[in-house]
Amino acid sequence: MEAPLSGSMTTAPERWLTALVFTCLLAGCGTKQVVVQSEFPDPVMNPLPLTLGIWYNDDFANHEFFDEASGRSESSWLVNTGQAQVELWQTLLTGMFRDVVFMNGKPGPGQMNPVVDAVLLPAVDELQYAIPSHTNVKVYEIWMRYRFQLVTTGGEPIAEWTMPAYGKTPTAFMQSDEGAVRLAAIVALRDAGAHFATTFTRVPQVEAWLNSLPRAGATQVQP
Amino acid sequence: MKPRRLLLGALLLSWLTGCVNATVDQMVFNSPTEGMGDASVVILGRRHASDYETEPGFISCVGKHIGARDPSIRVIDELEFLNALYPWFEPRTAPLRPADLEKLFAHRDVAEKFATLQTRYMIWIDGSTVRGDSAGSMTCGIGPGGAGCFGFGTWSDDASYEATIWDFTQRAEVGRISATASGQSYMPAVVLPIPIIAPVQGTACDSVGDQLLDFLSTAN
Repeated sequence: MEAPLSGSMTTAPERWLTALVFTCLLAGCGTKQVVVQSEFPDPVMNPLPLTLGIWYNDDFANHEFFDEASGRSESSWLVNTGQAQVELWQTLLTGMFRDVVFMNGKPGPGQMNPVVDAVLLPAVDELQYAIPSHTNVKVYEIWMRYRFQLVTTGGEPIAEWTMPAYGKTPTAFMQSDEGAVRLAAIVALRDAGAHFATTFTRVPQVEAWLNSLPRAGATQVQP
Repeated sequence: MKPRRLLLGALLLSWLTGCVNATVDQMVFNSPTEGMGDASVVILGRRHASDYETEPGFISCVGKHIGARDPSIRVIDELEFLNALYPWFEPRTAPLRPADLEKLFAHRDVAEKFATLQTRYMIWIDGSTVRGDSAGSMTCGIGPGGAGCFGFGTWSDDASYEATIWDFTQRAEVGRISATASGQSYMPAVVLPIPIIAPVQGTACDSVGDQLLDFLSTAN
């Protein structure tokens, strides 16, 4: 009977070494996974006197980005931002508006939902990343493009606009690619919140809608 | 005995550091005339450039340097300040000129937050440390009998930072400090690699910290 390879042809240290080499090789070409998790600060601003509804679809609440490796020497990337997206927008919107209500379902005809002034539907249209091995610049970058829809509880459109967000983080001693991409994503999310908070009332369709509200004079819109 | 001597030699070499040259320039427009009292200072990194980013570690280093040398100066942690005033000091929204502070204070909540923090000076630091030329080669091997490296490597690091001091009470820029440092690091390897690292960023941190301390301590 043929003896098993591990028992007859290699000694224990050699086996460990072989296993280590294979592990290192596999680690080099496997998928790098980043789950972005963070807490975000409450915004410092006068809340708009509006009751805003929010509806996150599954794509947004579980948002992830996958980039397949183009060559053997590169790694695939899976960046999961869904949990952090929900955390950011809940914190931000709760601080930006007098009342924030989470919808039971996507606004539309026949959908029973609480009464609100408008419903915001955020979505991530696109996410791109860059790491130093791609760009020869010693920063890790994340770029996102959001698409927002503001609709009535009946689903009729009030406004629709896109908004970019960008985050970067420098290379640091003993920092992994995954850790740096995670940090860059958190910076990008904070940038998204800052961009939204400071420009929401200046989106032309939103501005027109705010001015059309009977209590528009009391919204204290600050550009 | 021989391995012990080798180990001792390696340990001694590891304490060695490379040489660093540092230059500091300081311009003070308005020297402080009164004490800081209970007021605090915040040190923030500029992060607008596309090809580099002021390292958060450097900002923290300067803050710790000032706090350690003069415990009477209250330095607010950068992240704590950014969180306390979110979203007004993110790279996209941060004021670029002292005049922009007026717009910021128009927001009642922001003005109240500043009053709570009692911030007297805001110090913006812009710059980075970059790796310059490198030379040499090193080969490392691993086998059943052990592992080791042989070779020699050397590289240079250059740090360049500029600190701008804003006075909240005057809503004006009151000083500017720039520091540059460069140094050469070496790594000889005979079985064990022995890094002789030039503390370039640390030297730049000390230079900026000392100059800021000089400015802020005058205010006490």
